[in-house]
Order: sequence, then C-alpha cells, then structure tokens
Amino acid sequence: MRRVESRRGLIKKTLAGAALLAVAGAVPIALRKTKLRPPQRALRFFTAAEYSIWAAVADRVLAQEATAATREPENDFAEAALQAAKRPRAPTAAQVGVAEKADAFLAPLPRSDAKDLKALLALFDNALFSLVSGGPARPFTQMDPDEQDAHLRAWQTSRLAIKRTGFQAMKRLCCAIYFGAPETYASVGYPGPPTELVKSVLESRR
Amino acid sequence: MIHKGSETDLVLKPDVCIVGSGPGGAMVASRLARAGAKVVVLEEGGYHQKDAFDMQESTAFPRLYQDRGNRATADLSISVLQGRAVGGGTVVNWTTSYRTPDDVLANWRANFGVPLTPEILSPHFEEVERRLGIQKVEVEDTNANNRAIYDGCKKLGWQVDTTRRNVRGCLRTGYCGMGCPVDAKQSAALTYLPDAVAAGAEVYANCRVQKIEWSGRRATAALAQVLDTESLKETGRTVRVEPRLLVISGGALNSPALLLRSGIPGPMIGKHTWLHPVVAVGAYYQDPVEGFYGAPQSVASHHFAHRSEGAGFFIEAAPVHPMLASIAMPGFGGPLRTKMGLLSNVAATISLMIDGFDPSERGGTVTLRPDGGPKLDYPFGDRAYECFRAGIKAMAQLHLANGAREVVSFHTEPIHITKQADLARIDAAPMGPNLVGVFTAHQMGGCRMGKDPARSVVNERLQIHDFDNLFVIDGSVFPTSLGVNPMESIYGLASWASDHVSKALS
Repeated sequence: MRRVESRRGLIKKTLAGAALLAVAGAVPIALRKTKLRPPQRALRFFTAAEYSIWAAVADRVLAQEATAATREPENDFAEAALQAAKRPRAPTAAQVGVAEKADAFLAPLPRSDAKDLKALLALFDNALFSLVSGGPARPFTQMDPDEQDAHLRAWQTSRLAIKRTGFQAMKRLCCAIYFGAPETYASVGYPGPPTELVKSVLESRR
Repeated sequence: MIHKGSETDLVLKPDVCIVGSGPGGAMVASRLARAGAKVVVLEEGGYHQKDAFDMQESTAFPRLYQDRGNRATADLSISVLQGRAVGGGTVVNWTTSYRTPDDVLANWRANFGVPLTPEILSPHFEEVERRLGIQKVEVEDTNANNRAIYDGCKKLGWQVDTTRRNVRGCLRTGYCGMGCPVDAKQSAALTYLPDAVAAGAEVYANCRVQKIEWSGRRATAALAQVLDTESLKETGRTVRVEPRLLVISGGALNSPALLLRSGIPGPMIGKHTWLHPVVAVGAYYQDPVEGFYGAPQSVASHHFAHRSEGAGFFIEAAPVHPMLASIAMPGFGGPLRTKMGLLSNVAATISLMIDGFDPSERGGTVTLRPDGGPKLDYPFGDRAYECFRAGIKAMAQLHLANGAREVVSFHTEPIHITKQADLARIDAAPMGPNLVGVFTAHQMGGCRMGKDPARSVVNERLQIHDFDNLFVIDGSVFPTSLGVNPMESIYGLASWASDHVSKALS
C-alpha cells in the first residue's frame, strides 16, 4: 500500500499555526470565542461555531458592495451598475440559506476530509493566528466587514499555499450554492433555462 | 437491461465484466455483446434519462459529476470536471469530437511502441462518427460566445475552425454540460450502451467497484458496493462478478485508483496523468453575448498547438452559466458581484495546455485518499506557467481584435486588459497554485500504454503487463495528452482494442 498523506497532515506540517493551536488554550487571545448565530435548522455537519464561521464567510464572499480590501480599482464597470440597478436586489447569503445548504452538502463528506475542513475553519477564526498573521486580535466572526474582507483577502493571496487552498474551498462552495440557486438568477441577468422550449419540443415529438 | 443497483446481494459469472460505462466501457460492451459474449457492466454513477435533466446546475453537478461536482487536485489548484453516470463523461461533455491527431499517434509509435496509425484507426473512427452522428458545425450556427473566438482569430490571421459535434436534432439550448434534455446529444447512454443491452449485456448502475481480486496472472472477481441512488451512500449490498475476462474503463483518475486499491503491481500505475490544464479569461462586450445559450463549444483554434517557445495550447469556448462562472471568476464580494452582474455580456474563453510532450514533464500523479478514492496531485512547473501566460495573452489579443471592451484574467489578482500595452502585465502577474484559476475537463493517462513494462501499465494491446485477462480501456491509457478533446479518441481506441479483448476471450 502506498503512503497516503492527508490534507490534515499537510496543515500540521506546513503551518506554524499547528504549534500555535497547540498552545492556544494557554493564551488569553486565543480564548476569544466565535460569535455565534443561530442556524435556521438542525445541523448535520457543522458544530454551532463552525456554522457561524461559515455563515460569516458567506456574508462577505457574497457581499453586495466592495470594501477597501476587495476593490479592484482599474474598472468600475459602469454598465454593470446601470444594468444591476434595473434588476431586483440580490438576496443575501442568509436569505438563500448558504450556510444551511453547505451543512447539508458537506454532511456525506468522507471523515478525513471533514476533519481537514473543520481544522481549517478553526484556524480561520482563531484570534491568535489572525494576530500573528498581521490581522486584528479577534476571531473572524467578531471582526467588522472591512477587517473580514482583509482577512479573507490575506488568505486568498497568502504566501502559504494551504491558506490559499482554504480560501478557495470556502469561496467555491459559497458561490456554487448561492449562484446555483434560481432565486439569484434575476440579480445577475440570467433568464434561466429554456424549460418551455424544451417542453414544447418534447411534446411535439411524442 | 440497465439496472438501478440491486435490491439483493448478487454473484454474477459472465464472460466479461466491464468496470465503467463511459466511451471506453460502452464501446467494448457493445462490441463484445454483439459478438455473442455475456457482458456485465458495473457503473458507479446513476442511470439518468432526459426527463431528469432539468438544466439546473444545482441539480446536475451533484448528480452527474464526480465528487458531486467538487473534484479537484489535493491542493484545490485545479478544478476537475469529470462525469459520473451511466454513459460516463459523454452524458455531460460539450460534444466536441476530434480524431486523434496524426502527430500524436506518431509520437506514441516512436516513444512507446504503440502500433497505432491513422490508417489502423480510421475505420473505427468512421464507424463512431456514423453511430454518433458527428458532423461539422456551420459558422452561422455558432453562438456569440464561440463566434467571438472565430472572428477574433480571423482578424488576426490565426488558424480557427468550427468543431464537429455528436448531436442529432440539436436545439442548441446550451445545456450539454447538465445532460441533454431532448436526447439530441448522442451520448454512450443513448448509443453504444443500448446497443450492448440489445445484444444481451446487463448494466448495473449505482455499483461502485471497490476492488479487483486477482491471483497470479489472472483477475478473478470485481467486488462492488451498491450505492443508494439518492444519498450515494453504500447500502451494504454487494455485487460480486466473477468473469473470464475483466476490463477496467473507469477513466483516467478512477482506473488507476482501482488498480492501486486492488494491489495490482506496477511501478507506473497512477503516474503521468495529463489534464490539458485550462486557464480562462472573461471578455466583456458592449452587446450581449448570452453565453449560457447556444451550442456551448463549436469553435476551436489550434494556431498555437505547436510552439517552439514551449508547450502548445489550443483555444475553445466555455459555456457561461452562473454557478460555474462564479466559481471560476476571481475575487469575492463586491468585485465578484460586479463581474457576475455582467454575465450576459461576457465571453468565456479557455486555453488548454497540450501536456505530456516534453521529457521534462511529469504530469499528475494519482494516489489514494484515506477513503480509497483517487487523490490527484499535479504540480506546475515553469513550462506550464509560460504556457498559461501565452494562452492568456493570446485570448486577450483575439478578443481585443474582435472589439471586446475589456478582458479580465482569472488570476487571484485579476489583470484588466483594455489595450495591447496591458498584455505585458500578464508576465508580471504572480503564478502558483491558487494564484490563477486552473481547470480540467480532459483527464488522460495514469495507466499509460507501451511496450516497456518499466514505463507503462498496459501493453500495446491494452492488457495490463503480466496479466492474461485484465485490460484497461479508457483515456487513462493515453501516453500523452492529445491536443484535442478526447471523447472520440477514446471511442476509436476502444473499438480497436475490442478486437484484442475478443481474441483474449477466445
């Protein structure tokens, strides 16, 4: 049997954060807790804290407005603003239930992957790790939106490959759930699939 | 008959067991069943027909793709689109159909001792093209997303042409990637598998093969777990197949993983996986593009397929549906919203690196995850990054030539290109895992064929070295990538290989 290296192994090996987490219990900053928010239904995968972290991430990944940390200065896409203004306002991540749907989606995850993801979320919301990475000494869930975007961006562009991986894992699933939901289609100008055309063609072929 | 799993434990003793029902497995099943062999096909994915294809990404990806649409390399640096259904990838691919290029076959003959020539494969391709209705697209039938590539290349004097597609009565709705809702796409589930079933083959969907049992030079059994059709969890029921001959056709990631799980010996199993790694751009136009409608892929440029500066690449279009677009596009929050707000106006263009032709390339490696599934690693090197930069520049150039207002790269820190002078900024952009979006929809290699057992997994008849009755017939046997979309090559190769399987059976 070939040697198998899990992503958890990679986290431990790659990040000095593993050592930080080990001593976290002895450091007051590290004891700062995740700001909890109540889920809309019973959780199958996340703990209450993990759910709250994911919900906070979804809020920022799917935020409507840019902040100083996310703004792309080179183009303001004026046409987009004009078109968007005519469309219904996009639902929020919470209205789409992104965190609840992520919980359901992740429930069947293999145990090893689940451990990795849970370790990632703990690290992402760890105040001490934020501090030593140059951020505020607060958990992600207790930061204000500007700080949260800066924290996400720091993970997105980090020199540590594992942090970039972690950012992508969270961003992709949040986006897949949100933009795959039909109630968000109108907000991006997507008319949706041509169901009537297909139906009429199928009926004509019967 | 096509069974949706099994309600009881089964033990079957056919002549041939085929693991996987994509283009390789379906073709072999059809050929052998029609020749009179008793054939059983085991397929991990479900059996879905047109009524189940609702054209919603949130339905299609979890149901029809590997890892519920979330397959990726271990570091998530490459998103892997790979089908998982009765019919395999042919149920969800974008219908682009090419024969294996002559120069690729020449490379395989020279470097791997593979006895394939255009003349040998030609009758097989002709039969496939008849059966699948493969025809060239008329320029007038391309959507704006593809037409932008065509017109941009023409303006620059670059080679470009329409593709050939395996469709009959296509409505050009644009939803090939979510399963064709009108049965226009001639997938394996509508062609070769029904042919096989009509000749007596039995197909078992929702059956994940965990292990091949073997002794000495012979494979003795395939052991499958029956999965629940909805939750995809194991039901506890098993299907055990004890055939005279076994064919593995699970695709370029699952086939080597199955061999590894089964302890099949061989130093090259899982090595040299090729992906046609894809980088993409979004080109924003004043007029609507509506890349979510129309045949998703109908134009390709192979102008840069043979480059002296580095790895070649080819250029095609990708459909623009919101879920896939949001995952691929860079950024988050407000800027991502802004880009998504212009979904109707963006042309999505992809550059596919032709990997595996330089001795310095190692490609990807398949090992096993703790749960036994395939773990894919594909480290990039300077050759890949040079190719990515060249591809992004070429795509930006053709769109600027065609009048795009702006081209945006898919770097983590996206490059906004509005004029030729901006192209130089692509060279300065950082490259690395998860610093630029990379994707793959073409998985090849991992069980490569060749005469030398030290450099290959299967021999020139696609038989695993040192085994008498164990074959691999799918895209995993390709020694290199192809430089074209692989579906038709897999069908053609499987048709040719069926003759070898028949001989081994008799």
